[in-house]
Amino acid sequence: MILTGPEIAEQVRCGRIVIDPFHSERIEPNSYGFSLSPHVMVYEDRVLDARRAPAQRSIELSEDGFVLEPRVLYLGSTVERLGSLHYAATLYACRSVSTMGMWIHYSAPLGHMGAIIPWTLEMQTTHPVVVYPNMLIGKIAFWATAGPSDRYSGRYRDSQTTVGSRLADDDFGGRGAQ
Amino acid sequence: MILTGSEIVNQYRRRRILIDPFDELAVNPNSYNFRLGDKLKVYDSFPVDPKIPSSCREIEIPSSGYVLDAHRLYLGHTLERLGSPHYAPTFAARSSVARLGLFINLSASLGDIGFFGQWTLQLYAVQPIRLYPGMCIGQMMWWQPCGEICLYNGKYQGSTGPASTKIHHDFLQPEEAVPETRSVDVEVAV
Repeated sequence: MILTGPEIAEQVRCGRIVIDPFHSERIEPNSYGFSLSPHVMVYEDRVLDARRAPAQRSIELSEDGFVLEPRVLYLGSTVERLGSLHYAATLYACRSVSTMGMWIHYSAPLGHMGAIIPWTLEMQTTHPVVVYPNMLIGKIAFWATAGPSDRYSGRYRDSQTTVGSRLADDDFGGRGAQ
Repeated sequence: MILTGSEIVNQYRRRRILIDPFDELAVNPNSYNFRLGDKLKVYDSFPVDPKIPSSCREIEIPSSGYVLDAHRLYLGHTLERLGSPHYAPTFAARSSVARLGLFINLSASLGDIGFFGQWTLQLYAVQPIRLYPGMCIGQMMWWQPCGEICLYNGKYQGSTGPASTKIHHDFLQPEEAVPETRSVDVEVAV
């Protein structure tokens, strides 16, 4: 079951969901609105290699706005640390951002139970779009789970900000880590 | 939990899910197929800046169809008005549409409990594609919520036709914000 907005607020109050910082006016009917951190990253390699960590360059979003160019992948991050030991999470662009012509993830909306981090966003636009630091950019929904509780202990668990792909850490002979 | 098709019909009959017009043939095992309305909108001034009201051009899709260019955003809309004051909605392209390389939303598949209106679709094609008004393009799903319900009363309530972004409202100072006229259709069914 998906948690309603008032239930998300209640779970934050009793410490079973972490949203930090939390603003009650960001509660939506069945999600919580999160904002865009000023720390953005782009890959510098023209051809990415699944077995090699890509070279990356940092961009700080200015208060005056920054133009995202189409067909470029920008990695961004939520301002907030978000997550729960008790609920699974999914992330979405908010409607206003999506209708502006912007993705915030590439077919990868699921956040695991136990990951309480600023979430890295995969941003792309269909045409030039201006973004501002701290603007409302997406929303997170929480889902009740069935079955014994497992917790995320993967490589992104200690994320503090935007984190590039660490796929190169995979054991390519094995099943691959989370 | 996601509602089954039969439960969507059951909830529709009890007025707990609103679909207008409704066609029982459009019910799937876990979703309801919605159709493409006949209007499109495209932005005509770039970059699109969330602090500035956007400028758009409207396109009517003729019955002979309209070809979307690849790699360009078109805002479309559902022919139906859809929503529920009891269940959380998500929507997706029909798999046959996705297989032609068409996105119908850009990572924004989650709607709100209490929204009722025509849904704006973010159409983005990977290769040129001809679309027709009234074609079945996507599917709406409904999910059982947990907790107290607080209905959507946001800036897109009661939308008709493709709604371009109203994100500049988010940047208004409280004294500049203008109260909006909102549809109260949904309250009839609560």
